[in-house]
Amino acid sequence: MSGRIEALQEIVERDQVWPVMAAKYGVENPVPPWKTSLDGLCDSLDHAACDENIPNFKERRDEEDALSATVYASLPYPENQLVALAHSLVARGVIDEVELKQRLASIRERLEA
Amino acid sequence: MTDHDHDHDHDRTVKPMVDEITDFEVLEIALRELCIEKGIFTAEEHRRFTEFAEQIGPTPAAHLVAKAWLDPEFKKLALAEPMTASKEVGVDWMEPTGFGTPSDFTAFQILADTPTVHNVIVCALCSCYPRPILGNSPEWYRTPNYRRRMVRWPRQLLAEFGLYLPDEISIHVQDSNQKHRFMVMPLQPEGTEDWTEDQLVEILTRDCLIGVALPKAGVTTNVITDTRQAIHPGTAG
Repeated sequence: MSGRIEALQEIVERDQVWPVMAAKYGVENPVPPWKTSLDGLCDSLDHAACDENIPNFKERRDEEDALSATVYASLPYPENQLVALAHSLVARGVIDEVELKQRLASIRERLEA
Repeated sequence: MTDHDHDHDHDRTVKPMVDEITDFEVLEIALRELCIEKGIFTAEEHRRFTEFAEQIGPTPAAHLVAKAWLDPEFKKLALAEPMTASKEVGVDWMEPTGFGTPSDFTAFQILADTPTVHNVIVCALCSCYPRPILGNSPEWYRTPNYRRRMVRWPRQLLAEFGLYLPDEISIHVQDSNQKHRFMVMPLQPEGTEDWTEDQLVEILTRDCLIGVALPKAGVTTNVITDTRQAIHPGTAG
């Protein structure tokens, strides 16, 4: 679980974290706009955790705590929560890393179109 | 409209926004889309849970306590039948999202402070929290540091929040879990005896309902607390 995942490491290094973004654009919201959607994602996963690879609530939070204190220690909350969740899903084989990289690229292209 | 003759000020009504697509925003969408495509959950489920996350907050809990302070009968109800009392402030614990609970909790209890007992909540295992009535937990509540130290050294940790309790007041730390959620009903502070419910709600902050602060006339904001790394005391220098 503690190994590096390249696609996520690149995100960490680019460091577009909310405190930096909010300061750069003069925005006052304390948390990024995607936070409630992440909450919905976590609740949906907890609700669906019957497949053996999908982390249940406790596993998800334990892995988040461990990853946030180590691999993603440089990230603030809730960026560390999001990236730790991605890490858990890739490490557990729920999402393939190559598939994730492709999807990140296609979504960015879509949003910037 | 061609004249544009309305009298509002665009400079003041348009708030600044982040004009940059961040990797984190993209990652959240990617995870969600892939999970939906794999059939782990549906887009509709995600939408409903997200709406739930957007509408929850500490206001219903503050109203519940304010009502209890003003009405001894409602206080009895809140302590004896907290689920029923919650409905009176608009929270149905059995169906907070309208289609099922976001977690698997089955019980909710309100912990009433007394002149000699102060209550505070924690989830030592993860971050269970009475979300339907109190909203999302603050960042520090989720940290292993708060969870680990609150069950061991509550008096010291409360002091770090600025809450210094005299030794004659016992501290009861209530550990939440996936089946059982709690919130604190603090004592009504002096000087607020003739206040209305809305006035009382203003000083019933989230922190007071967790138990890391006491309500006080004039204090309407939560404590700003740095999160700390979980360093085991046995290994800390």
